[in-house]
Amino acid sequence: MKASRLGLMTGVALATVAMAGAAFAQEDVTITVWSIDGANQVGPSDTFSAEFNEMDNGINVEYRILQFDEIVNETLRAYATGNAPDIVSLDNPDFALFSSRGAFLDITEMAENSDVINTEAYFDGPLNSVMWDGKLYGVPKYTDTIGVFYNKDAFAEAGIENPPQTWAEFEEYARMLAEANEGMYGATISARGNEEGTFQFLPVIQMSGGGYENVNTEGAREWLSMVKGMIDDGVMSQDVLSLGQWDSTGTFNSGNAAMAISGPWEIDRMVEDAEFDWGVTLLPVFGEGDERSSALGGFNLGILSTTEHPEEAFEVLEYFVSQDDRLFPEFGYLPTRGDVELPPSGIAEKDAALEVFQEQLQYAQPRGPHPEWQKISKAIYDAEQAALTGQMTPEEALSQAQATIDTIIN
Amino acid sequence: MGRIVSSITDGKGFDLLLVGLTMVFLLALAGVPLVYNVVMSFQQVDMFNLSTFSRPFAGFSNYVEVVSQPEFWLIIRNTAIFVFGSIGGQFVFGFALALFFMLKFPFASTIRGLFLVSWVMPGLVVGALWGWILAGDFGVLNAILKGIGLIDNTMFWKSDPSLAIWAVTIANIWLGLAFNMMLLSVGLAGISQDLYEAAELDGANGFQRFSTITLPMMRSTIGAVLALGLIYTLQQFDLFPAITEGGPANSSNVAQYWAWQWSFQLFDFAKGATVSVMMLVFVLFASLVYVWSTRHEVRG
Repeated sequence: MKASRLGLMTGVALATVAMAGAAFAQEDVTITVWSIDGANQVGPSDTFSAEFNEMDNGINVEYRILQFDEIVNETLRAYATGNAPDIVSLDNPDFALFSSRGAFLDITEMAENSDVINTEAYFDGPLNSVMWDGKLYGVPKYTDTIGVFYNKDAFAEAGIENPPQTWAEFEEYARMLAEANEGMYGATISARGNEEGTFQFLPVIQMSGGGYENVNTEGAREWLSMVKGMIDDGVMSQDVLSLGQWDSTGTFNSGNAAMAISGPWEIDRMVEDAEFDWGVTLLPVFGEGDERSSALGGFNLGILSTTEHPEEAFEVLEYFVSQDDRLFPEFGYLPTRGDVELPPSGIAEKDAALEVFQEQLQYAQPRGPHPEWQKISKAIYDAEQAALTGQMTPEEALSQAQATIDTIIN
Repeated sequence: MGRIVSSITDGKGFDLLLVGLTMVFLLALAGVPLVYNVVMSFQQVDMFNLSTFSRPFAGFSNYVEVVSQPEFWLIIRNTAIFVFGSIGGQFVFGFALALFFMLKFPFASTIRGLFLVSWVMPGLVVGALWGWILAGDFGVLNAILKGIGLIDNTMFWKSDPSLAIWAVTIANIWLGLAFNMMLLSVGLAGISQDLYEAAELDGANGFQRFSTITLPMMRSTIGAVLALGLIYTLQQFDLFPAITEGGPANSSNVAQYWAWQWSFQLFDFAKGATVSVMMLVFVLFASLVYVWSTRHEVRG
């Protein structure tokens, strides 16, 4: 009895050694990459990971798709328990949560010595979101911003020549375009109770002279009253309070809304789905010639500081960056660098939209960076929702948000 | 020596062994996490010290901050609506269905079995289904209600602050209905038919039979169903992210979803723990009431 058990244990031990030996002989390093690309549609990180994995260079890439809502959460949990991936791609306002605590690897020096990554080529907004305390903690992956998509056929039918340039025109046109009997709303936005709500509402605060540290502006109050009026009168669906941007713009594509506030990630789907002529215009302003603003979206890539293979992980990162010129033609994403040329796609609507979004990017302002961005953002979208549902007046909602934000910042 | 061995295999020792094993399991799997949660609610927790035990002591500051949140009372109100609405709805409809299926008609037990489908399905799937049914502009429920002329305007179940909490409650009633019906059916089946026959001979009508035989005989079953209902409802989480995400403006947010938001959306793990400790106190209180109210029951 005893002898046989001993034999069994020896066998197990030998097998373990043999397996370890096999892994050692192969010498392949595995780099895990987490991103949301591939969750809704094919994206850069999943595509480039698969390509890099195919190469015979001793580095394997294991790619995992996560949902937008859970990626920060999963990464946080994995980091706390010591199972973090090597590379993770995060939405830019979430990046500071990790970089400010040293959870991302400081790659300042590696980038300086790199032939591929040139930090000077990046736009300020995206670059800022990967910096903390003057150090570089990652690279911006792609960027985006928002503008107004409009249904040209519906505009022509209503006798409107140009897309709206001010919020007053936005409201006026939306009211003209809404056809309740035909299931056509005048406009659609996303005022959802999560980051997407803040993403679309913060630019309004910014263009009226505020910022995330100062949200109670006259323009913001005006805008909230305007949108609330449009919801009350059925010019906008009440569902803008619960729809995300992707679903909200879906109603535009199917011809159920004449205008939609959203970003360049919609273009490829719109080219396929929309059975009407459409165009894009810059996010409206309050008065002609006023300061413009828009949201700065997009994801960043960072190497977790817990990685066992920083050099190999950096190589993977370099490969991703070297493919930046494919971002727009293949995936419809805007590169974060000024030195990437965007060739015309040959699809007139897509190229025209790109031009508008590139102009819009000049006005895009980052969210944060702040290590407690999530709480600031919640204060902002909570205020928007409270005002749009009529639970509070815009003044009450925004001053309550301001009080919350003050305690977070100070 | 022999006496100890025989006591372990058959006697007091064996009883103690069984009780001991259960206690060890309870302590390890329920007690430790519970205490850990309570401890966390008195500390400052962030992702840096998440994996260690030594964190700065925060006293009652987490509790004070949670209670002073502007949405605190709204969430308490919603939790009350959700809990009592769900339990009430599940119980009433479950009892009605259980009584209905006690009637002997062809395929009664087969159809009753089919009702279990709703109980078997994962909450997220049920949530997604009801999310589509309750959708505003293109929802099934709105199409039906408009079709039969009950409403003229679109009801925004998920986006209207006065409807949102009811939308989730309706979905939860549907989800828990079958479970209530099954437990109550078992209770009904245990009542001897002789009692009903005797009552009928004495001239008792249907309502009298129900209120003087069925209800008193079902007392312990009803108590158990309501107590389990309370626990399952306070645990119900999946429906919230799938249907309303607690919105708009927290008008359908409840304590259990709020706790999750604190921990996993705002990354303030201590406040998440604080909310769940508050829920724990409530459940403890409710179970005390339950134990007290059934103290006269004879137990086998």
